[in-house]
Amino acid sequence: MSLEQQQQVIQYVPFTSFVHPSFWHSLTDIKLNVDKLNESTKQIYGRFTYRDDIGTVFEVDGTSFNKVPETEQMYYNVTGTIMNKNTIEDFKNIDKAALLNSIGEIIWPNIKRKTWISNPNSLLSFIILSFADLKKFYYYYWFAFPCPSQPTVYLIDKSQPISTVFSNKQLEELSVGFKSLDIEQKCFFAITKEGESIYVKPMSKILDPNKPTQNAIDIDVVFAFIDPSNGPNPGWPLRLFIAALLDHCPSLSGTDVTIIGIRSSGSGTLNNSNVYTIAIPQNLQKVDSSGWVGWERNDKGNFGPKLANMSASMDPIKLADSSSDLNIKLMKWRLVPDIDVEVMKHTKCLLLGAGTLGCQVARDLLAWGFRHITFIDNGKVSYSNPTRQVLFNHRDCLDGGRKKAEAAAQNLKLILPTVNSKAIVAHIPMPGHPVGESLLEETVTNLKLIIEAIAEHDVIFLLLDTREARWLPTLVAAHHGKIVINAALGFDSYLVMRHGVGLRCMESAVSVNSTYIPGGLLGCYFCNDVTAPGNSLKDRTLDQQCTVTRPGVAAIAGALAVEVLVALLQHPLRVEAPALYNFNGDEDIASELQGVLGPIPHSIRGFLHSYTSVTPTCAKFKQCIACSDVVINKYREKGTEFLLKVFNSGKYLEEVTGLSELQLAAEMTDILTFSDEDQDQE
Amino acid sequence: MDIDTITPEDFLASAKHFIEISDKIHDGWRIYEHKNEIHKSYIKKEAFITFKSQNELCLYKIEYVIFYNLSYGVPSFSFNVWNSPGTLLKLEEIRQMCFIQITKEEFYSVITQQEHPIFHRPYFIMHPCHTAQLLKEFKNKSRNIVVTFLGLISPLLRLNLSLEYGL
Ligand SMILES: [Zn+2]
Repeated sequence: MSLEQQQQVIQYVPFTSFVHPSFWHSLTDIKLNVDKLNESTKQIYGRFTYRDDIGTVFEVDGTSFNKVPETEQMYYNVTGTIMNKNTIEDFKNIDKAALLNSIGEIIWPNIKRKTWISNPNSLLSFIILSFADLKKFYYYYWFAFPCPSQPTVYLIDKSQPISTVFSNKQLEELSVGFKSLDIEQKCFFAITKEGESIYVKPMSKILDPNKPTQNAIDIDVVFAFIDPSNGPNPGWPLRLFIAALLDHCPSLSGTDVTIIGIRSSGSGTLNNSNVYTIAIPQNLQKVDSSGWVGWERNDKGNFGPKLANMSASMDPIKLADSSSDLNIKLMKWRLVPDIDVEVMKHTKCLLLGAGTLGCQVARDLLAWGFRHITFIDNGKVSYSNPTRQVLFNHRDCLDGGRKKAEAAAQNLKLILPTVNSKAIVAHIPMPGHPVGESLLEETVTNLKLIIEAIAEHDVIFLLLDTREARWLPTLVAAHHGKIVINAALGFDSYLVMRHGVGLRCMESAVSVNSTYIPGGLLGCYFCNDVTAPGNSLKDRTLDQQCTVTRPGVAAIAGALAVEVLVALLQHPLRVEAPALYNFNGDEDIASELQGVLGPIPHSIRGFLHSYTSVTPTCAKFKQCIACSDVVINKYREKGTEFLLKVFNSGKYLEEVTGLSELQLAAEMTDILTFSDEDQDQE
Repeated sequence: MDIDTITPEDFLASAKHFIEISDKIHDGWRIYEHKNEIHKSYIKKEAFITFKSQNELCLYKIEYVIFYNLSYGVPSFSFNVWNSPGTLLKLEEIRQMCFIQITKEEFYSVITQQEHPIFHRPYFIMHPCHTAQLLKEFKNKSRNIVVTFLGLISPLLRLNLSLEYGL
């Protein structure tokens, strides 16, 4: 090594693979529709650019599988192969070195047969080894850009700008000549100098493919290649070029060779091209025996495969989930910045009743972003149901009908696969409906199921078709301090209300002049009826035999029930969120009485006949048969024994609460206890 | 004209003219013309961009697509950004990259991720009602609706529009 010039082993800048998302879409499509279980090796196209502002990026996209590659300015297409393996084991276990050598055994004969001189693009190739996990939309892949590991040559000094060897006029001639070259000749070519002019020539004009080797090239010539690198070192293609060149011209050993790396600016000029002066050692190692290299390093810098996790944009289930999520986020971003979108995702809702109301409520919960929904119902889907009960279809009615709770839970998944929906098939025991010896065991089992379900969920929706069926869940939910949303239907009227919680009656009496009642002190469905003012529409709503409702009533009540819940969840006090009391509608509502979505009423009573609704507020009733302290304490004390006593005789509740028999009797047949079942069910 | 919308034919003609200029200045836009359904024609440009994430300079590719929005009768702007394995960046990641110089609230009210009407894959799409508003003001002065449209939105994006387009 001489003193005045520095020589270093040449460092080729390897390619970095860059995959367009459409590549995975095409690969998936081919795997599913063409290859299926066949493990085929396919010819594909990839491309790199010799633009000076991008770097050594090697790209594939959806068009890589086309018969004819798409052309793009300043890009060069390379033919390669993809080996898509059927299993991750095959992907891992394939001998990577042997695979590269086998590609080398195809390329090297091209060099030996001199076909590369007329088809220089045959020197370039690439491999993609892949495995597609189409359940998860994970794509494991590994690119290789095969090159012989030998010969080793040296770069003299640093590379120089092309202006050090060519004048402006010559650069112009280079640019024109390069443009007029056939596209496949552009990767490796020659530049000759005649006088002051330079000429661009394909390799076949300089090298003679009919000679096994060539010694003297008697004209003034430099070689050139399109250079993907934008740094001081040459790009990967030069490595193949040098191997081929030295095989054909062994006499270059011991000399210095000048090679131009063509680099184009965005506007197409070649002024940023680079000049490499390369020292070829005397004794070159043979290519044939040296083996092939070129596997790409992964992000950690190791030789290893990469992973494309495409699930977020390709998995239809994830897409559905994130798209429906986005709708709720948009509400936050655009309209209600303080809304908490996470609380809906995590709140567990228990729906007692999977009929008209249950179906409606479940759909609205989904729309609001709730993802945990459990149905309790004992009924089966009948032929009259699907037109009103929006989660069911005709098929659910066949063969005696599916269990409503199960059909509802499964059909909800058909709407949104990521929903966590469950079904509990259980009959809800009722006061005054005696449990015979034969049914005792089943009743106790059901009780356990229902009580556990209430304890495990955050919100209990009472969407049942009889008044009595609401008693047990009202008591148990009050005992656990759960949010209860109750909805009941009349022919053209509805009631939607929230309940207070247990053991709060005595804490503080509600003053008649108060402007609000704390949420925990609000009355339940049973307190309310006793204390409610006389009902002017009694005749219309009292008719319990007529179980048909105007179809819109369930949709309205179901929607309101969910909206009340969401408003409550968005209130910092949640179940304790106050309800306005003695509100005359004139004054402004104090901000502490409102949540993010506004003030939350205790109850909404609506009348379709007049298209009106009112929002009465009532405090807990001290002698309530469902939520009073005395009843809850009795339940805490005696548990199932107490419940069974109540089921066997409604009179027992009367004893416990001190209500007169008359009142109780009236209550049990009171208003708004409409079935949302259809006539054939009762 | 006194209406605020343009026809698919207007859009295509403007797009073709735009591509002529792009070709001349090597700006990289390409046109994908749909012969049978003109409104499915679109223009597209891909470019590499680099961003520093966790102190490392990362290479991403961005794709800009301008297509015709059939229901609003205006050009629509959509884009995607992905990393080297082809994984798309999420909305929040894009916002954090300060790819768009806009406040958080405005960003979310302008850009949403949805299924692309032409590609049927997720893209970030600029809400067309904003476009309609913007174009309304410029419609009558515009020589090329695509140029006007890109001129209006390019300040929001890392999309440097050459003066050669005759802004
Ligand atoms: Zn009560």
